[in-house]
Amino acid sequence: MSKYYLFQDTKNCIGCHSCEIQCKANKGLPPGPKLCQIIAVGPKLVGGLPRAAYIFMPCFHCENPWCVAACPTGAMQQRASDGIVFVDQNLCVGCKTCISACPWGAPQWNPETGKVVKCDYCMDRVDQGLKPACVTICTTHCLRFGKVEEMTQIRRERHAKAVAALEHSDL
Amino acid sequence: MSDATCPVTALIRQLEETLNSGRMPTPWNRRITEEILDLLKDVAWGRAGADHLPAIRELAGSLRDDPPSSAGIETGRQVLAALNEHGEVFRSHVETHNCATRDCVNLAPAPCQMACPAGIDVPTYVSLIGLGRDAEAIEVIRRDNPFPWVCGLVCTRPCEFMCVRGRIDTPVSIKFLKAFAAERALSERHYKNPPQEPPKEQKVCVIGAGPGGLSAAYYLALKGYGVRVIEALPVSGGMIMVGIPRYRLPREVIDREVAMLQELGVEFRFNTRFGSDVTLEDLKAEGFAAFFFAIGCHSAYKMGMPGEEDFPQVLDAIDILKRVALGDRTVPGKKAVIIGGGNVAIDVARTCLRLGSEEVTIAYRRTRSEMPADEEEVEQAEEEGVRLAFLTIPTGLTGEDGRLTGLQCLRAELVRKEGSTRMSPVPIADSDFVMPADVVIGAIGQRVDNSCMTGLKGLEWTRRSTIQVNMVTMETSIPGIFAAGDAVTGPATVIEAIGGGKRAADSIERFLCGIPQPKMPPVPVRRGRVAYFDIPASTKMVLKRPEMPLLNIDRRRTTYQQVELGYSENDVREESRRCLRCDICLRCGKCVEVCRDKMGVNALQLGYFDFDHPVKTDFRITAERCITCGACAANCPTGAMQMEDREGERILSLCGTILNRQKLLFCEKCGATLGPARYLDFIRKKTGAVVSVSNDRRICDACARKESAKVNVDIMPV
Repeated sequence: MSKYYLFQDTKNCIGCHSCEIQCKANKGLPPGPKLCQIIAVGPKLVGGLPRAAYIFMPCFHCENPWCVAACPTGAMQQRASDGIVFVDQNLCVGCKTCISACPWGAPQWNPETGKVVKCDYCMDRVDQGLKPACVTICTTHCLRFGKVEEMTQIRRERHAKAVAALEHSDL
Repeated sequence: MSDATCPVTALIRQLEETLNSGRMPTPWNRRITEEILDLLKDVAWGRAGADHLPAIRELAGSLRDDPPSSAGIETGRQVLAALNEHGEVFRSHVETHNCATRDCVNLAPAPCQMACPAGIDVPTYVSLIGLGRDAEAIEVIRRDNPFPWVCGLVCTRPCEFMCVRGRIDTPVSIKFLKAFAAERALSERHYKNPPQEPPKEQKVCVIGAGPGGLSAAYYLALKGYGVRVIEALPVSGGMIMVGIPRYRLPREVIDREVAMLQELGVEFRFNTRFGSDVTLEDLKAEGFAAFFFAIGCHSAYKMGMPGEEDFPQVLDAIDILKRVALGDRTVPGKKAVIIGGGNVAIDVARTCLRLGSEEVTIAYRRTRSEMPADEEEVEQAEEEGVRLAFLTIPTGLTGEDGRLTGLQCLRAELVRKEGSTRMSPVPIADSDFVMPADVVIGAIGQRVDNSCMTGLKGLEWTRRSTIQVNMVTMETSIPGIFAAGDAVTGPATVIEAIGGGKRAADSIERFLCGIPQPKMPPVPVRRGRVAYFDIPASTKMVLKRPEMPLLNIDRRRTTYQQVELGYSENDVREESRRCLRCDICLRCGKCVEVCRDKMGVNALQLGYFDFDHPVKTDFRITAERCITCGACAANCPTGAMQMEDREGERILSLCGTILNRQKLLFCEKCGATLGPARYLDFIRKKTGAVVSVSNDRRICDACARKESAKVNVDIMPV
């Protein structure tokens, strides 16, 4: 896994797709490829009430990425310093093997360049100390980005609060 | 010209650089610049219409004049300057889809078209013939050459020597396809003149009704000028009528194609020799504003042998051919010896045979491989019984009582002389011998018969006593007088004369309109981009250039019937399918490089791409190894290599040649295309190292994303 973590607070996500738009605008992508995507799951009845969840699906930057193994040209790489998986556009020849190899559907096809594009956590921005494009635009601030160790803390606090909230409602 | 950079491409690069460099901070300016860039790319890819250039100009103007930003002003000026300086080049990209520098890859002409002196768009008409659209093919040809039927029978076909298919097996039989289409279109009454421009006041006089003169007349008549053609002979056609024998080019062919000119209102005056029957002053008085001389090379070189003047049986080839063409059928002699090794020597030898000469020998100083004559012609002559005596230098004539009995000759050997590309024949001492002959015919070349033009004061001649012209514009040293054809080039080919005539027509129009003349020779113009049609790789490889069926040998030795009988319709359609469509595929080799070096699949065996080192080409090999990943197609700059999914199959094709065809597998959930099994196996083999479980479920990436989103919901802490 990369040393970064992109955390989505699904409870706060309203499915506005701003993250997708900001991502595409930042990368200058034509219609088609979606490096990150909000997928609506549901609505389904939970306790008699319709509930929907909006799941943010970027690339997971796997520990052992299948796309990197599949790539015949060495265009798909994992950055040694932080584990970010990215495509070197100069090496990509557009064979799409990574697209077929990825079990999560992360690599995307750019019909304009005839090459693959994928989420690289906006590594150029990250290197400048900035956040990925999607995180910066998130309307409800449900997307957060940082080092894995920092994010675990957030999650822990969040979970504690959630548990506390549940107890309150019971009373 | 080929080293130069195309101004369109150069401007695109400049604008891209400006946009990428971040020098242009104003979003408004950036948007306009991007719009200009989009339009320019249309121009470079041959997609532009008539509105494109004015639109670019307007956008550039607003960039220059609207809200002040130094980068915007600079870019606007840059674009306008390029448009002003290279307006013609931009227009040729839009109007004729042509980029001579080959920078704009989609617009570069094919090698066959570049080789043609008249610049005919060969791949386009060959494809049209393959589709059975003969009349359209003729229309395409006639935009650059008014005589497709004539050329289809007698052209020296420089195109076929450049044909890329020749690097695989044999060139496409371009020449005869043209003749077939012309014949078919004429017989079906679809051979028509293009629409003529409205008549113009000015009149042009063409001197000489040969291929050069008639071509100029045709294009001038199409432009609406009044044209009169003056011809010393009683027939039209010039050398193609009186130089090329009827068994190669039937008279009807010339007559039918010349009749097309009469239909355009071109006026013919036969038996009218310029200089004696009519003078420049007479013609000027009649109101002719420009003159085009295409008087050909109708005077034979003398052999310079002792005794040449003493015997009436020493003749020249051009005279015999002319006499025979005009109907004379007297046999020149029983034993004829022809001196020379060019097409004229072969023509006159075969003519003598048909007139009844019993023994016809061609004496040539060098050997077969140095003969300038067309190889097929030499073969056909030999089949008919013409003897060839190589390494034979004629030195004199022997005879009794004014009657010729023989030709004195010396044996020769070939020696490489410094500074000469051709091997030179050197006589061997004491090797004299006499060839028995009762007629000796010289066919050692022709020169311009300039007697008719001596009255033209100030006309410059070359060292070879041909008319001196500017080869770009065909202007002579006298304003308003143009020249082309053999009279300029010396004895050359029909197609060169046609090319010269066409160029001259353009210059004459500019002269009459007072437009400055071009500085560079015109480049071949792309006349279209016919969509290619599917053909299986095995068919593409197996199809062979058909043998030309010939008249039976007895008739060939006795009559003037056409020797080459022509292909059958089926042969013609099949032959056109052998074309590799070099107008679309530029043989840049990107596909091969990607497949071999990047993908490591090495499925493309396209040796013909490399001109210098052609290795074996086999389109069929691809299907054995190709995994249909499509990287070749994704990297093809011209769209020649294409991969598409059709009827449950993934098909890879190069200019319509189907290289691979694989059954597709589909997503189990949504039915989206996954790709063929071989492709998925390739990926599984690659990823096998990191995943222990085999990926048994076949789902597409979109469904995969959805699936994992659902899993995420389930494991997510609420």
